[in-house]
Amino acid sequence: MDEKQRRVDEVRRERSEVENHLIDEYVLGRITRRELVRRGTVLGMSIPLLSFVAAACGGDDDDGAATATGDGETTAAGDVQPGGTIRVALIQPTTEPNPLLVQDEGGAGMLGSTGEYLSFSDENLALQPRIAESWEPNEDGSVWTFAIRQGVTFHNGATLTANDVVETFEKLINPDGGSANAQSALGGVLTPGNIEAPDDATVVFNLDAPNGSFPTLVSSANYNAIIIPADLDPADWGQTFEGTGPFKLQNFTPQVGATFVRNDAYWGEKANPDTIEVKFYAEEGPMVVAFQGDEVDFVEHFSVAGGKALLDNPDVQVIGIQTATHRQLHMRTDKEPFTDKRVRQAIGLSIDRNALVDGLWEGRADIGNDSPFAPVYPSTDTSVAQREQDLEQARQLLADAGAEGFTVQLDTWDGFEIPDLAQLVKNYAAEIGVTINLKITDSATYYGDGVFGNSTWLDSVMGITDYGHRPVPNVYLTAALGGDPKVGVWNSAHFKNDAYDELVRQFVAALDVESQKGIAKQIQELLLDETPIIFPYFYNFLSAAKPNLLNAVSAATGQFDLSKAGFTA
Amino acid sequence: MGRFLLKRLGLAVITLWLLSVLVFFGTQVLPGNVARRILGPFADQAAVDNLNEELGTDQPLLTQYWDWITDLLTGDLGNSLALGVPVSELIGDALVNSLKLAALAFVLVVPLAIFGGVLAALRRDRLTDRVITIGGLTLSVVPEFVTGIILILVFGLWLDILPVSAQAPPGSGFFTQLKYLLLPALVLVILLFGYIARITRAGTIESLDADYTRTAVLKGLPRRTVIRRHVLRNSLLPTIAVVATQTGYLIGGLVVIETLFNYPGMGRLIVTASRQKDMPLLEAGVLIVGIVFLVAMLLADLAYSLLNPRIRYARAE
Amino acid sequence: MTIVEEQAAPIAIPVRDEAQIARRERVRLLFRSPAFVLGLVILGFWVVCAIFGTLIAPQNPQADDILGKLTAPSADHLFGTDRLGRDVLSRVIVGAREILIMAPVATLLGTVLGTAIGLVTGYYRGLVDEVVMRIVDALLSVPVIIVALLAITAVGPSRRTLILVIGIVFGMIIAKTVRAAVLSERELDYVQAARLRNERAPYIMFAEILPNVMGPVVVEFTVRLGYAIFTIATLAFLGFGADPSIPDWGTDISESYQFISAGVWWAVLFPALAIATLIVAINLIADAIAQTFER
Repeated sequence: MDEKQRRVDEVRRERSEVENHLIDEYVLGRITRRELVRRGTVLGMSIPLLSFVAAACGGDDDDGAATATGDGETTAAGDVQPGGTIRVALIQPTTEPNPLLVQDEGGAGMLGSTGEYLSFSDENLALQPRIAESWEPNEDGSVWTFAIRQGVTFHNGATLTANDVVETFEKLINPDGGSANAQSALGGVLTPGNIEAPDDATVVFNLDAPNGSFPTLVSSANYNAIIIPADLDPADWGQTFEGTGPFKLQNFTPQVGATFVRNDAYWGEKANPDTIEVKFYAEEGPMVVAFQGDEVDFVEHFSVAGGKALLDNPDVQVIGIQTATHRQLHMRTDKEPFTDKRVRQAIGLSIDRNALVDGLWEGRADIGNDSPFAPVYPSTDTSVAQREQDLEQARQLLADAGAEGFTVQLDTWDGFEIPDLAQLVKNYAAEIGVTINLKITDSATYYGDGVFGNSTWLDSVMGITDYGHRPVPNVYLTAALGGDPKVGVWNSAHFKNDAYDELVRQFVAALDVESQKGIAKQIQELLLDETPIIFPYFYNFLSAAKPNLLNAVSAATGQFDLSKAGFTA
Repeated sequence: MGRFLLKRLGLAVITLWLLSVLVFFGTQVLPGNVARRILGPFADQAAVDNLNEELGTDQPLLTQYWDWITDLLTGDLGNSLALGVPVSELIGDALVNSLKLAALAFVLVVPLAIFGGVLAALRRDRLTDRVITIGGLTLSVVPEFVTGIILILVFGLWLDILPVSAQAPPGSGFFTQLKYLLLPALVLVILLFGYIARITRAGTIESLDADYTRTAVLKGLPRRTVIRRHVLRNSLLPTIAVVATQTGYLIGGLVVIETLFNYPGMGRLIVTASRQKDMPLLEAGVLIVGIVFLVAMLLADLAYSLLNPRIRYARAE
Repeated sequence: MTIVEEQAAPIAIPVRDEAQIARRERVRLLFRSPAFVLGLVILGFWVVCAIFGTLIAPQNPQADDILGKLTAPSADHLFGTDRLGRDVLSRVIVGAREILIMAPVATLLGTVLGTAIGLVTGYYRGLVDEVVMRIVDALLSVPVIIVALLAITAVGPSRRTLILVIGIVFGMIIAKTVRAAVLSERELDYVQAARLRNERAPYIMFAEILPNVMGPVVVEFTVRLGYAIFTIATLAFLGFGADPSIPDWGTDISESYQFISAGVWWAVLFPALAIATLIVAINLIADAIAQTFER
């Protein structure tokens, strides 16, 4: 015990103040081991170090990775045969394979097949080093220094240097033709020209403002951010799928699929499978059928609705990752009848969230509490009271606001379970006397040009929008609810609240979990009171694997990692 | 003959040109602008404007139309806006797939329908006739997705003897591909059987009642020979015409069947292209469908007029 | 009148009465056809469902029960429940309304439009005829579904769009038939006579020719009605219907179709059978009517 204590003290002496603070919280039992690992890796601490600290310092031993339904977060681990071909079903990308243009899961899957990121955001939201070996912030988190791994080569033989990293990010955040997606994560955080490579093995990011979560924003969670050669035009990436990953491209046919083979010059442990065959499917139904018909071994992503056959089959390995993927039901705070927050609260109170989670997601989702703070985030304060269905109170609120029995149109589009959610919301509203008329179109019509005045999404009085997973809630807090039009570009509720904006600014800058949680609590309570947007649930990312396929890993953003996967004998 | 052909060809070309105009200006009505569609709703407006300029989609419509039509005539169908690859590649593959399915369907339905039609005519007004005619009619008016779903339920789910998707794994042999195409082809067979059989039946009845048939019978020829040599040849005329007219429908109208069975053919390509406002792809696709249809009509007319003199000749016998 | 007088007076039956007698004769023939009667019965059943659906249906077709979704047919739900736990039987019954409103309206629109175009082009011929017919041919060289699909993608899915699109496309088809009929009619004596009387063209077209081509027009209407139902259901199945909470056979099928692989057949089979029976019924009726005109 003494020896251990001595070693722990030594470790702590070498750690920064922020990191020590994190260890303190763990020792005091304020965060779980899992959160320690998560938060620690973001700060740049290595996993072996964190494991040592966790073991030495006791604390809450919440190791459980299983969700309530008992789904694993990866496939069962075990011994696999070397080699083999793994066939993957992936949703068809909607754009050409260009790291700047990719905007959906299918595209992300393609990028991640051969490309690598600075780090990989795993199912615990912890960051595993890849191209970056380690990283650390300065005192206040406004400058982040990344140590770039040496001896890494691209599939074409060229050696990777820090310059490639710099150029990759410069291209991504270039205001004149960068990646809209990457920009949504890094906008207001990093400005072009502020990335330096003092030598071949170091990259320094000079941020616009202190940001405690910066490493996640340049990890695999920002799926466009694969590191590509500095001299490669992203528009040409689709010809060779140039990257540094454990697999390289053999061939690619648009709308059909792609084949990848093991990269024997990989810097890390060589991949186990010989070949990965990816097939594209325009829709989920055929994907599920193909899996049942033994045409594929792994389905990257399936939904509860479309994959009922898979869920009901005990032989199928269902991998479920807890995520922050959600839907936002917005109500325009600047338009009748939603100008009065009591009306908005009433709608929030009319919804039976438990029924939604059990009915729409078979329990494979977390209940939302009308804020972007998903239960999966360590920064979420779970002590805030959970809003439950209360029709009585809802009706009372409507009466108080003098807004009984109104009619409103709800706009949305026909993807995923959104039409189902819309119809259920319509029925819940009917129970408190509100009539909702549904107008469900397709995503192009709903999103329009994505700018105020030219987008049903941003202009509608009431709508449902889908949001993909992010490793930290920052962009939800700023873009979807920010009052400044330059920041709140996704603010469909037209929410404007100065107290809120100030709290968010503080949250983003906070480096340690405790202060983050403290601010989060205030934000959560403010949003519950104002309810500009209803967050009914955060659902799990589901993948399916054949029972004999082990070690397959999925990421909630659409990439998959099969480097250690293989079939049992 | 030659003049007739030329006239029909001329008309077809005019119709085709009109189609191109309708298609081009029709697709301009689709919502959202092109660059926005490609870059998505979250891209910068400046980037969108840039792309529009690059693609030439900010030019006046007539200029765009002229460019498009001249490119088309030189064989350049342009690039797919969403996928970046030449349209001709995508259409080429899709067309081949649709043709495979169409070919299988035709190979199955034509003999079946002719046999059914002739049989119905020979057993006119008896039970066989009633069953074939009314059964055929009933089956042919039911929407393809209804018959498709029922077939999928029966053969794919309950009996589990046929695959439910139409696309065989790549590299499959001929017979495996056939197995996968069987269900969707069956749907088409059911759809087309009734109409073709009915026309065949009508034609057969007409030639059965004709003078030359009676003459042949009176001459002492066995019934089977009469049918084979005289009746069949003449009754097939309207059938050929009908078969040709169904081709245009087959190629493009397969939208539903291709959706149901997840088959990458022309119909599904056109739907995807219209959803993504992928103009070059959409316009080329619809135009190709139109061309196929008009060519089929032309061939039908040609076949009909070529075979016609025979009737006159046979009647004079 | 005495028998002698009846026989003696040469009764010049005016044209109108002749037509009336013919019509009555046709109707009588229709009811003798078993196919027609069967079709009428089935259609009648669905019309009753369309009108009184909400009274007949055992449950509220929009009432969801998300925890009881996708249950097989049982005593509580004779046709099972769909993806939101709604009663399929009720949705099938009330679903008749949507299609039985949209299809006839679209067909009527198409018939009126097509008849007008057919009359004008058939009567005037010449350049107008050539140009219009070329455009019609161009439009018809692409399958109806694709034309409808493009239009709906352009303008957005709604009842109105659906009706307009189908009405216009069918109008083109009907125009061709009516035009053909007009072409043969215009050579007949009564048209010449009217011209000699210096009647104006619109009068000749609508007062003289139109009554005599009503036969083909009626046949076209009934045949196109079947196709309208076919097309509307197909478009709904492809996902171009409007509001998915309103019971509609095509939309319901498209929403439930993905569950087939999980063994859920009822949410798909029953609406499919509904569509099938309705269309077959209409076609039986249409066929019978066509045959009476042929005789």
